[in-house]
Amino acid sequence: MDWFQRIVLAALVVVLGATGWMLIDHELHAKRSPAHTTDPAMKLQQHYAELQRKNARIFAKVIALKESGKYDAAMNRLKTLMAKHGDNAYGYVLLARLEYAQGSLTNALHAYRKAVELDPDYVDKTTPLFIGTEIMDVITKSRGKINRERKLKPGDPKIRTAVNDIYYLQRRIAGGCE
Amino acid sequence: MSPKKLFDIAIITGLLLGGGSVLLSYLGNPVNSGICLSCFLENIAGAMQLHNEVRMSYIRPELIGFVLGSFLVAKKTKRFRVTGGSSPVIRFFLGLFIILGCAVFIGCPIKMILRLAAGDLTAVAATAGLFAGVWMGTRYIRAGVALDRAGHLPAMNGYLFTLFAILLLVFFFLKPTFIVFGQKGPAALHAPWTVALAAGLIIGGFAQASGLCITGGIRNLFLVGEKTLFMGVIATLFSAFIVSLVTGQFHPGLHGQPASHLNHFWSFLAMVLVGLASTIIDGCPFRQIIKTGQGDVDAAITSFGMLLGAAIAVGWSLRATSAGPEFGGKIAVLAGLAMCLIIALNYRRPQGVRR
Repeated sequence: MDWFQRIVLAALVVVLGATGWMLIDHELHAKRSPAHTTDPAMKLQQHYAELQRKNARIFAKVIALKESGKYDAAMNRLKTLMAKHGDNAYGYVLLARLEYAQGSLTNALHAYRKAVELDPDYVDKTTPLFIGTEIMDVITKSRGKINRERKLKPGDPKIRTAVNDIYYLQRRIAGGCE
Repeated sequence: MSPKKLFDIAIITGLLLGGGSVLLSYLGNPVNSGICLSCFLENIAGAMQLHNEVRMSYIRPELIGFVLGSFLVAKKTKRFRVTGGSSPVIRFFLGLFIILGCAVFIGCPIKMILRLAAGDLTAVAATAGLFAGVWMGTRYIRAGVALDRAGHLPAMNGYLFTLFAILLLVFFFLKPTFIVFGQKGPAALHAPWTVALAAGLIIGGFAQASGLCITGGIRNLFLVGEKTLFMGVIATLFSAFIVSLVTGQFHPGLHGQPASHLNHFWSFLAMVLVGLASTIIDGCPFRQIIKTGQGDVDAAITSFGMLLGAAIAVGWSLRATSAGPEFGGKIAVLAGLAMCLIIALNYRRPQGVRR
């Protein structure tokens, strides 16, 4: 080994040693910081609990009106709130439930689709927001009627949209890497 | 290795790949994505924060296992040869476009087989596309299109991708602050890491020994009528089908299939791109990853291109969702096909002349 190799090797040992020491020191400090001590799964559960509390607060009146059977009043109230909270997916879930309760299956399916597009957690079995079973129930109940209407009005764009919504929701509920 | 033995190993690899993939789904991986190179790369890109979709952020131990399994077997059998220098930038971009093609179909050629085996009829158009793409690639080869010849490189080059895989494994265990693991969506769906890593090591080792490649099997069949690798592809489909049936994951139909869409034209065209580009660079995404473990520097460069492709597929929405292909995904497929055509024009040499 000549002097050049000896110097390069010594420098390499110093660089690797310093890197290792800095990495270990950094990780030990990072692990002790409050951001790192909270379990990510726990943090996520807290996020969902907070989200559900927030939604219940925003849409409390709508839920109460729906439960007392005052669908028109609930719908009017919901539309006012959705104008203010347009990106809140839960608004669309409530809209779907109201449309379904009033017998408007195609509108209910479309609202479910909007909710899922805004927040895929609604069809994610790993989250507490999952409402896949509820959506599948609506799909199962509407499929017969929509198929009949499709045969009666083959070119109707509303029916075509409803069929596309059903297929979309089925695919999302089926899961997969998306 | 004798042709008979290679034939047997290709079939064993196919059986392990197909059956193992479906079992991984059964044990926790996303449905029909027990093994999917494009999905795994998207997950790894997310974990490295190369895109910000937390639902798609996880370091998949299977992929690390492929590299390490291939490396160990290549070393053991003295097939570790450090080669490279064959049109590296072209390979990088073709790797990128291959993953964008996969993202528009929603799955790599292995996932295409898994989807078919699980009864997903939306994968039929993609299969036709992959065969068409490989067939076009074989026409290119017959017409004299070939990338530059690879040469021997200093040994150090061959170890770097394997070291990168080991580094990912270290990140997997230590979870440094810059590595993100999603707690929901596909990221939250995974088989136990021990099973995933073991499956990767075993399949990676066998794939190195057999040279199994989805597009390579089809290419050899079209080009010279040679069936060894193609039988491995058939074995993959067969074992995935049987295990899907046994584990209750077989749901035949066109609708309600997980991570799929009904735009068959773009599924077809996306897989034409994957088939064609994979034929030009001599191997599907799975084969590229396996080749990195045996010291192939060109495959390593392709794999880094694939990783970047996975990152921008998600980050720039150059992909498809259940609603269908995004506009950017369609443009990416056309751009990839254009690149393949330009390569065909530039890399065609008169018959008998070596580049």
